[in-house]
Amino acid sequence: VTMSPGLRKFALALHLTLSVGWIGAVAAYVALDVAAATSRDVQTLRTAYLGMDLISRSVIVPLALASLLTGLVMSLGTKWGLFRHYWVLISLVLTIIATVVLVVETRTISHFADIAADATTSGDDLRDLGGTLVHSVGGTVVLLVVLVLNMYKPQGMTRYGWRKQQKERRDQRLQRTALVQ
Amino acid sequence: MRNMADPPLQHDTDDTGVEPERESKPGMPRWVKVGIIALVVLVVLVVILTLTGVHDPQPGPGHGP
Repeated sequence: VTMSPGLRKFALALHLTLSVGWIGAVAAYVALDVAAATSRDVQTLRTAYLGMDLISRSVIVPLALASLLTGLVMSLGTKWGLFRHYWVLISLVLTIIATVVLVVETRTISHFADIAADATTSGDDLRDLGGTLVHSVGGTVVLLVVLVLNMYKPQGMTRYGWRKQQKERRDQRLQRTALVQ
Repeated sequence: MRNMADPPLQHDTDDTGVEPERESKPGMPRWVKVGIIALVVLVVLVVILTLTGVHDPQPGPGHGP
């Protein structure tokens, strides 16, 4: 399936918006996560956990799923394909891993937010909660790696891509031969 | 270059007039190999840190107080 140029541009614009938005939302989340991990102030901790829950459920997860979906559409609707080039394949795998970890992590964040929202939770209990910094910083690194791969598109064709390319070239040559005859 | 062990290409023996493919199968690029090695080192590091208790996984729902 190959998209028309107009549709491809629209899909690309949508995919870029969602992907960059995902990274931006994660950056905002990391700021709250750092506050949750380092602050001693109870009010700051409560606000940070509630904000983390809100951002992750309302912004990051929808952006991640939409970005994954538009990425699939972009690769399947263009010459790049999904399994033909290493940079596309690795981007796909990393995005799926990031999305799965994110969705799983959302439960932990909601759990923290429930504790933070509970007025009876003491300041010491809040300080002991910690954060999700390892996952959020790790996730940011993964997203930046995917971004770099998508920008630079490093060379390297998979064996599947190479076979498909050979087949297409063969078919084209056969068509040309048939036309000449 | 094709290896001796590689299966013969499909049209090596056909008579369609199509030139036999002589391009070699692509190997894994160096940047992919470096990335895989870096990932394996990172995973081993995280496993070691987790086993030694330096990095405690966060308590999730059901594991909390």
